[in-house]
Amino acid sequence: MDDPAPASAAPPTPRVEVDFAAFDDLVASIRRWVGVLPEWAPTRPVRASWEAVEPRLDRARRELSRLLVVGVVGGTGTGKSTLVNALAGGDVSPAGDVARPTTVAPVVVAAPDVDIGWFPVEAIGARVVRSAAPAVANIVLVDCPDPDTQSFGAGSDAARAGPTRPSDANHNRDRLEAILPLCDVLLLVATAQKYRSWIVAREVAAFAPGRPLLFVQTHAARDHDIRADWQRQLEGEGFVVPRIFRLDGVEAARRAATGLEPEEGFAALTRAIDEELAGRAARRVRRTGSLDLAGWFLAESRRALAPFRAPVAGLAAGVASERDRLEGRLAAAVTARLRAGRLAWQRLLTDELVDRWHGGPFSLFLHSVAALSSLWPRGRGFGGGIIGRLLAGQPIIPSTAGRGAWQQVHDLGLGEVEVEQSRAVLVGLAARARIQEPLVGRAHLEETAVQATVGTLLDRTGLWLAAGIDRLVADRRGRLDGPGVRWFFELAFSGLLVAVLGRAGYDFFYGHLWMGKAASGAGFLQEAIVWLLLWGLLLRWLLLAWLRAGLDRDVDRLVAGLGEAHLIDPVLADFAGAAEQTGRYLADAERLEARCAALTAALDEPGGGLGRLRGTAP
Amino acid sequence: MTRPQPDPVRGSCAAWAAIIEPLCAEVAALQPLSFALGVPDPATTSWHGQLFGKLRPQLAREPVLVVAVCGGTNTGKSLVASGMAGFAISRSTPEAARTRHPVASLPTGLSARLDIGDLFPGFTPRRWQSDRDAIDAVAAPGEGADILVWVDDALGTQPPQVVLLDTPDIDGTLQENWHRAELVRNAADVIVAVLTQQKYNDAAVRDFFRAAASAGKTTVVVFNMVDWPRQRERIDGWLATFREETGIHPVAVYAAPYDGAAADAGRVSFHPLPACVPGGGVLPPGDGPPVPGTRIVAGLVATDLDRIKVAALSGSLAVVLDRTHGVEGWLAAFVEHSRAWQESRQRLADAARVEVTLPSAPRELVWNEIWDWLEPRRSGFDLAISRAYRWAGRGVAWTARAAGLRRDAGERREDFAAEELTALKRALGDFVARLEAACDRDERLAGVLAPRLVSGDRAGWFADLQRRHAALPVVSEAYREFVRGELDRFARDNPGTVRWILAALNAGAVARPAITVGLGLAGAAVVPAAAATAGSLTTLVHTAGDVVVGTAATLAGEGALGLTAAGLRPLVERLFAGWSAERSRVLAESIHDVVLGDAMDAIDQLAAAVTRPEPERIRRLLAAAREEG
Repeated sequence: MDDPAPASAAPPTPRVEVDFAAFDDLVASIRRWVGVLPEWAPTRPVRASWEAVEPRLDRARRELSRLLVVGVVGGTGTGKSTLVNALAGGDVSPAGDVARPTTVAPVVVAAPDVDIGWFPVEAIGARVVRSAAPAVANIVLVDCPDPDTQSFGAGSDAARAGPTRPSDANHNRDRLEAILPLCDVLLLVATAQKYRSWIVAREVAAFAPGRPLLFVQTHAARDHDIRADWQRQLEGEGFVVPRIFRLDGVEAARRAATGLEPEEGFAALTRAIDEELAGRAARRVRRTGSLDLAGWFLAESRRALAPFRAPVAGLAAGVASERDRLEGRLAAAVTARLRAGRLAWQRLLTDELVDRWHGGPFSLFLHSVAALSSLWPRGRGFGGGIIGRLLAGQPIIPSTAGRGAWQQVHDLGLGEVEVEQSRAVLVGLAARARIQEPLVGRAHLEETAVQATVGTLLDRTGLWLAAGIDRLVADRRGRLDGPGVRWFFELAFSGLLVAVLGRAGYDFFYGHLWMGKAASGAGFLQEAIVWLLLWGLLLRWLLLAWLRAGLDRDVDRLVAGLGEAHLIDPVLADFAGAAEQTGRYLADAERLEARCAALTAALDEPGGGLGRLRGTAP
Repeated sequence: MTRPQPDPVRGSCAAWAAIIEPLCAEVAALQPLSFALGVPDPATTSWHGQLFGKLRPQLAREPVLVVAVCGGTNTGKSLVASGMAGFAISRSTPEAARTRHPVASLPTGLSARLDIGDLFPGFTPRRWQSDRDAIDAVAAPGEGADILVWVDDALGTQPPQVVLLDTPDIDGTLQENWHRAELVRNAADVIVAVLTQQKYNDAAVRDFFRAAASAGKTTVVVFNMVDWPRQRERIDGWLATFREETGIHPVAVYAAPYDGAAADAGRVSFHPLPACVPGGGVLPPGDGPPVPGTRIVAGLVATDLDRIKVAALSGSLAVVLDRTHGVEGWLAAFVEHSRAWQESRQRLADAARVEVTLPSAPRELVWNEIWDWLEPRRSGFDLAISRAYRWAGRGVAWTARAAGLRRDAGERREDFAAEELTALKRALGDFVARLEAACDRDERLAGVLAPRLVSGDRAGWFADLQRRHAALPVVSEAYREFVRGELDRFARDNPGTVRWILAALNAGAVARPAITVGLGLAGAAVVPAAAATAGSLTTLVHTAGDVVVGTAATLAGEGALGLTAAGLRPLVERLFAGWSAERSRVLAESIHDVVLGDAMDAIDQLAAAVTRPEPERIRRLLAAAREEG
């Protein structure tokens, strides 16, 4: 579309550039925001609305210097055409009281030297009239068809049942709805009879976002002044109404045609058109209109999304609650299995002992006992599953797909039913927030999903358990490395050994060789070996008991940190991810709206006499 | 001597009333169900308005002529109505849409004879206090929002059969005003259409008066705010358009000139325009001088009140009897929707079935019940031997437990309870998933079930099931009764039974069948092939509302071989199956009480709508009305 760049257009000021840079940034942010989460149903109306808003914002940016198109709208018989004639200074549009509706084809009024090649005159079936009147010198005025004479197709029974009527061919509202998107400003005309018309209010509300308005009460010569009531009505519908003009169109047209001084109401309107819509003011109108449109879009989006705020928060809370439930089961099972594996712990600690202590008599004794114990197969009596294997010092078997993975996770106290119970609960909470596939899965995990969820859970849990058991063993290892521990036990064991050997030497050398007593034979040695074995086993038991001390407490401490390991997350990851993404989407909507409001406040445009639909919710 | 002529109005009314009253009762009875079926609300249709707003209240009562002044916002309805009444029944204001409630001016004495609330159903009548009532009246707590202010004719000049009303607008931003105007229009015999040059061809105005024409209302047109006499010749064109668009043939046309000062003073004058009405209507020929508003009503009454009344009633009846847009159209929609619900019900029954595969029952539970039954039937020697075996058995069991080879009875029951709960939870989750799938495929089902599935506390459902399961006794009194009954029956059919039973129990204990219990929705074909084995479960079939523990299918293992003699195998299977069926009752109860609630009742009711007798009775009444009409 070509930019006509009328002579009156001023070059852009630096401030405008700066303002639009910030605005462009905002629009880019909105565009990015609208593009995310296409799978979430509540974003669809937001995207649909954006598809209508974005081209307007883009056009406003590109056509910054173009003349403003002012659409004159209102109910039939309110004097739209009469007012257009008055502004154009002659009969450019048919007006009168012969028949309703009077205006069917829109009439476009422009100054003689203005190129309106960019305006789709033919597409809307309009007639173009040139006027040299000052009021239309810097705008393009469009006399629009009325919205209130076209029937509603699906109206009453009578409307459906009746025969064909002339009004069946009336498409004025359809024409109006084709014209209004082309307008930059709406000049809303009403009378005492029509200012509370439902259909007019509906049409104006639909097209007002981002379009400044001028409000005009006509028929001033006959009707009471209804401006105060109309203003209340408009403000109740969300409009900002700085001013309502009141004039008599017939009288204004008569004066314009005869060259008389215009009446005050009409003069005020033409002044407002000149001051608020022409030249630089046109840029301001587009700028504030664009911001209003963006603000309106964001406010509407926030309103549309508001019902999902609580459900999304509910889903996030549900994920946390179900995670706690499953972690509770996992923690209980892990605690029970770790506590029950007394023999396994003893074996682990013995292995540590044997690895670290070499060279002394007691160490030799321990090595001997360990060698004998190794005849008993490892893992027997420790139970199966991940925990059993880890306590037996065996490597973790990688998780298997499908049923095997469920069996493995069952050893951890979870099981398919428990996981699917949590997922069923979350499916319900997600449905409240209208979060469905593919954002989240179903309660029942398909075979292919089991490996990615349950398998990951198993792998994570295995690694976490292995690290935890290692840590507990390492703590005990530290005790072994403590000063004097080994010497204490070596001395205690060696003491008996020395005593036995000393006694044997004494008996042999002193008693037998020196004193000539009979040798005591192997009996003493056999007895001594038994005592030595018992003493060694007692010391070993004491040592292991000392190492095991506080194990239950440490197991509890280990399991208490289970939540931080996020072991359960894989099986609920889709729900947690959806809650997080949708929550961020909602928060971003609020942030963008606040940014838009801040930009509007920063621009601080003078409001003038133009009305507007509030960009943000009251 | 002249014989008294029968009153045509009363005669017609009495005949129609005999049909309309039961017709209304039948329609009213069917309406909640129709709404639940998803049939568009008939309360918004013309036929409903005519049936309940005009025919029922007016046929059975003293005939009065209801004259309603209607039109768009700020067209001067209140001024015209007050002018016709002869005094200010409601205040005329410069602001639009100020008349929020209709105001009725009643002829002297009528309020004593007639309950205004009955004459205008849907409204709460309130006695007139001032001409601001129509603007300011606010419904008291507990009152309907639609108020009708009524006032006795202050001048005493209103014809005795005429009720005159001023109504709210039909095109303003307050849509409750439209509704009130429509209620009054339905009740009216005569409509005074107040038009202006701005509004005579507005779509909202056309639609409103078109409905009045369809219902046979007599219409008087008043063109208000006319620039008189400049616009006199315009009126012919305006009226022609209005007539063509609405189908209205007014019996009188008036022009009320614009006179701001007079209007502010509450005065209005009416210029009769007989030339606008073919044949002059009820007006004398030739444009005459303006007449006072009170003459408009008087002129109507003097001309032909009975004809107007009968025409309005006939017109209303015609709307009701219209085969497409009348009651029959609604009935057709009712039947269509109820059939669709029947299909949805079947679809749900097919889809939402759950089978619970329960773990094998702990052997001793059923065993002990049987031993208790056998106890009085056994000899002292037999019992002594048994006691010895029991002691020996306990010793073996103790040794096995001590060696860690066998869990004790308490532990086994705990294991069983955990397994059983898992099976029940799995079945509940499966059931919910099936319901969701059914809702995905059927919008009707989704309309009823989705709110429960979406807003239901699912964590609470599982918690409820767990609580019920925990509270379930291991063996209930009902099951004991069942076992005794089964064994008694078997004993009667098989003399010498104890020996067989003992042999069977020893083998049956090994056989312990795995049990699958089918839970289905009532009416669904849930009984599988194995139903024969559970034929006597009827004493244990628990109907928990809509969900029935309908059958228990035993999946006997290899140990069942050899039990076929003397029907022992079916006996053993029944005993175990009965126990499992009872265990699964908790699931049925949870599903009914907390998951489905009354949703299944609602669906059953909707699916059964097609069998309701009302549609046929309504059709008969409509046929009778056609004959009478």
